[in-house]
Amino acid sequence: MPASLTDQNLRNSEEDTASSSSTGLRQPVIEMCDIFKVFKTQAGNFSALQGITTFFYTGEFVSVVGKSGSGKSTLVNMLTGIDHPTSGYVMIHGIPIHELSESRMSIWRGQSLGIVFQFFQLLPMLTILENIMLPMDLSERYPLKERPERANALLKLVGLEDIADMLPGAISGGQQQSAAIARALANDPPILVADEPTGNLDSHAAEAIFDIFTQLAGSGKTIIMVTHDPALARRTSRTLLLSDGKLIDPHSPDYQRWLDEILEISQEIPSAAASPRPD
Amino acid sequence: MMRPRWRKAFSDLWINPIRSFLVVASITVGLFALGTIATIYSVVREDLRHGYSASNPANIQIQTSLYDPKLVDHFRKMPGVRQAEGVRNFPLRLQTAPGEWLTINVRSVHDWEKSEINRLRILAGAWPPKDRDIFIEKYKLPDTNAKPGDILAFDLPNGGSQVITRQLKLAGIVEEQTLGAFQPGPGFYLAPVQGYVNENALEWLGQVRPDFLNTLYITVDKNSEDENYLRLISEQVSDELEKNGVSIINIAQRGSYDHPNRIFIDAIAVLLVFLGFLVVFLSAFLITNTLQALVAQQVQQIGIMKSIGARKPQIISIYMVLILIFSILSILIAIPLAHEIAFQIVAMLADRSNIIFQGKRFVPVAVFLQISVGLLIPQVAALYPIWQGARLTIQETLSGIRQNHPTTQDPLSQSLSRLRGISRPTIIALRNTIRRKGRLLLTLITLSLGGAVFVATFNVQHSMSEYVRQISLYFLGDVNVTLTFPYRIEEINQMITGVPGISYVEAWGGARSEVILGNNNKAGENVQLLAPPVNSRLVQPIMLQGRWIEPGDQNAIVLNEKFSSRFPDLRIGDNIKLRVNGELTDWIVIGFFKLAGRSSGLIAYTSYEYLSQVTNQPDQASVFRVVAQQPDLTQDQQKDLGRLIEAQLSKKGIEINEVTAGKWLSSSVAGGFSVLTAFLLFLAILTAIVGSIGLAGTMSMNVMERTREIGILRAIGASNSVLMRMILLEGCLIGLVSWVLASLLALPISKLMSDDVSQALFGSPSTLLVTPTGFLIWLGVVIVLSTLASALPARTAASLTIREVLAYE
Repeated sequence: MPASLTDQNLRNSEEDTASSSSTGLRQPVIEMCDIFKVFKTQAGNFSALQGITTFFYTGEFVSVVGKSGSGKSTLVNMLTGIDHPTSGYVMIHGIPIHELSESRMSIWRGQSLGIVFQFFQLLPMLTILENIMLPMDLSERYPLKERPERANALLKLVGLEDIADMLPGAISGGQQQSAAIARALANDPPILVADEPTGNLDSHAAEAIFDIFTQLAGSGKTIIMVTHDPALARRTSRTLLLSDGKLIDPHSPDYQRWLDEILEISQEIPSAAASPRPD
Repeated sequence: MMRPRWRKAFSDLWINPIRSFLVVASITVGLFALGTIATIYSVVREDLRHGYSASNPANIQIQTSLYDPKLVDHFRKMPGVRQAEGVRNFPLRLQTAPGEWLTINVRSVHDWEKSEINRLRILAGAWPPKDRDIFIEKYKLPDTNAKPGDILAFDLPNGGSQVITRQLKLAGIVEEQTLGAFQPGPGFYLAPVQGYVNENALEWLGQVRPDFLNTLYITVDKNSEDENYLRLISEQVSDELEKNGVSIINIAQRGSYDHPNRIFIDAIAVLLVFLGFLVVFLSAFLITNTLQALVAQQVQQIGIMKSIGARKPQIISIYMVLILIFSILSILIAIPLAHEIAFQIVAMLADRSNIIFQGKRFVPVAVFLQISVGLLIPQVAALYPIWQGARLTIQETLSGIRQNHPTTQDPLSQSLSRLRGISRPTIIALRNTIRRKGRLLLTLITLSLGGAVFVATFNVQHSMSEYVRQISLYFLGDVNVTLTFPYRIEEINQMITGVPGISYVEAWGGARSEVILGNNNKAGENVQLLAPPVNSRLVQPIMLQGRWIEPGDQNAIVLNEKFSSRFPDLRIGDNIKLRVNGELTDWIVIGFFKLAGRSSGLIAYTSYEYLSQVTNQPDQASVFRVVAQQPDLTQDQQKDLGRLIEAQLSKKGIEINEVTAGKWLSSSVAGGFSVLTAFLLFLAILTAIVGSIGLAGTMSMNVMERTREIGILRAIGASNSVLMRMILLEGCLIGLVSWVLASLLALPISKLMSDDVSQALFGSPSTLLVTPTGFLIWLGVVIVLSTLASALPARTAASLTIREVLAYE
């Protein structure tokens, strides 16, 4: 059984504080404090997140795992500002993101955070190069002339330099996801949030995508990745385990058993079983 | 390199060509209709005015007794007169077939080359006519069955029972803008065939004093559109004529731009303006609906763009640019298309309405309207759906689930769910129909409005046709015989009834008369006074006000609608003075009837019994209306009967002026309306095109929008046939509901259109008649188009793999 809400929050908080004070230098890039998210449904209120408190640091590659319906995607949506917590707050680089207006949130997101989706979500009418240039165009962060050069450099980084002028429909799923990562990096955000980025890929392509993430984390980006793939989760620097909207304490005796259990279940779920609203 | 966001806007055009086609079509069709309407409206009226005024029409025409041509110079010097010209007009009978004669009006001037008033356009032949030549006006030429080069035979006046014929060569064809302008009876469409000869031909054609004239044309120096001014100059000129011993037979005035068919064009203009507004309204709904569907399909992409940092204004601008591209494409298609079609219609209208078509040209107002409406309405129409799309959260856009989505089914959907004996897919189809109520409402408004206008044009057309049928009720006889002099009724009745196949003869009195204006007993415009016997079986009037002649009436008179427009203060019970055969007579107005509208001259009915007393010709008549024993004769059969009657009367030495088939008269009156009915048909087709494209576009977009839903249904086992059945049912249901609404809406719209047309033509509201034709055709259009428009995109959607549909639209 997971620890009680209050205890868990406290422990997570203590752990993070300890981690911070032990290094003496590490400041969290993202602070999630006492996040609750309640959805109102016909059957009554449903608590998707129940008092989540956690911190993410520069260069960390964190995987988020949990059973279906455990609140993984809701957690990610809180981080990206896509959804608002019912209570609690998320601070990214000291900015309480949910206090930003819709417009400022868009500007902030365009510059500070890259999102990678399970279904790639590239715009089908634009070439790969144009898809990558689009965030730069929207944020106006880089001079006009610099953008193609930068987009090409990103394509090279993800190994797609030869297919820059192709349309998304003409390339493989793995390549599309690589392009989506390149697009997420377009404005050089310090944080990358990926919601099951390998869920729709074969193992070979998933491996390639994971390598890119590892490389990016190595270069100082903070990567947060929701995944069902046990092999990949085990290779990240830290794993957050979610169950019924709560974070499981990594120090609890049941943590490893829960983790193994969830990852085994995830392995049994065919990845092609697409859902219009993945969680 | 183009910025990716604009590149997206441009690429959206061809990534889904069917969708782009539908959006462009929905904008284009409205612009096309608007451009066509604006072009016709502007060009027809311009050409009507320009062509008529360019012929330098007479503002005043005075028919007189014969006068010396030298007198004309005197009028040229009169104050207020710009030009004066004397002409000689006279009727002849033209042989159109053995034993068949047609009255033709012939005109001659001293020197055709120098004639300046009522100028003619020479269409064929060497002008001017030589001594034994005749030119004929093109619009009435078909009545003569002749062609240039033919030798035409004319019956000379006063020939009595012995027909003296003279022959003239049809040397050419001319076009006269003023044809029918001064007809005392109905206008252009009732004007007789008009011929033009050299003055040297007059003596040969049996005209007395061939060097003398009998008509004076005047143009005024200013205020040529001011009726009062024209009347003032008319009075001055007629006074001078009378002072010089010339008798006035008839005076008529007409403005320099007042084409004889102006009222028909005015009626068309009224319809055009009405339809123009409706089309803009319809287009706005159509465009809003189409663009709403377009934005609905773009919601996911909006979410993606927002997730990578796009702000609301940026998203709105991307779609506004996309809409702008659609607008520009639509404008580029609609302008030349509308230009081409509109000028085809104008040429057709001009050809049938005696308008000189000035040729194709740039019409600034039409282009301006198309560009401004084309740019503005789509932007305005799209603003709300785009703004709504842009304000959706990323989560909403990517999941497809709205934050404020209903948590329960609405009562109607719940009721549908409870239906027994209906398959689940059918229930889903029924529920889908009503699921998006806003969209459904827009769709229904668009389709209903289009359908209603379509149906209304048929109703108006039917009302017009019915009116033409009613006009024939004034001319019920099968044969109308006009004699040169009044003869004893008893005698003529016996002669006519002696012809086999005759059932009934009615003698009508008639006289030329003039309205007396003011207290100085001055003769005004000519009035055609008709006098059927009381309780005549051959006239069934359409009363606008008051009543018809009844037994016992003495000096009672019933007037046509032209009196109302000419003398707006004239009321029932008022006294009116007429000069009948030179005698001043008093009459009491007892009613107003509806005939051929404002295009007709002043026509009045009284009883034969009273008029024969006034004219001192009791028991005598010159007009006989004959009814055949066989009902429903065709016009040809009536002509045959007329020939038999003419032969019988000629044999007995009776001088005949004219014998006409009863249907000729009503078909001539119908000529004016045929232009309108043809035009209404064009409007119906135009509306059907707008409505059909609207219907097809809306249905297709509705289905396209649900590609993802179709994928899900297929994923859970719905076969293609089940999917098709559901989609077709939904399409047909929307089509049918719109048809019911269109049918209801058609009634007030028909009444409005019909009233507008009737007001322009007759100066009174219409009697609306409803015909099932429009309703049935629209029902067919709705069913066929709903099926096709739903089936085609549904087939495309059903052919996609589940993965394609669900992964990305």
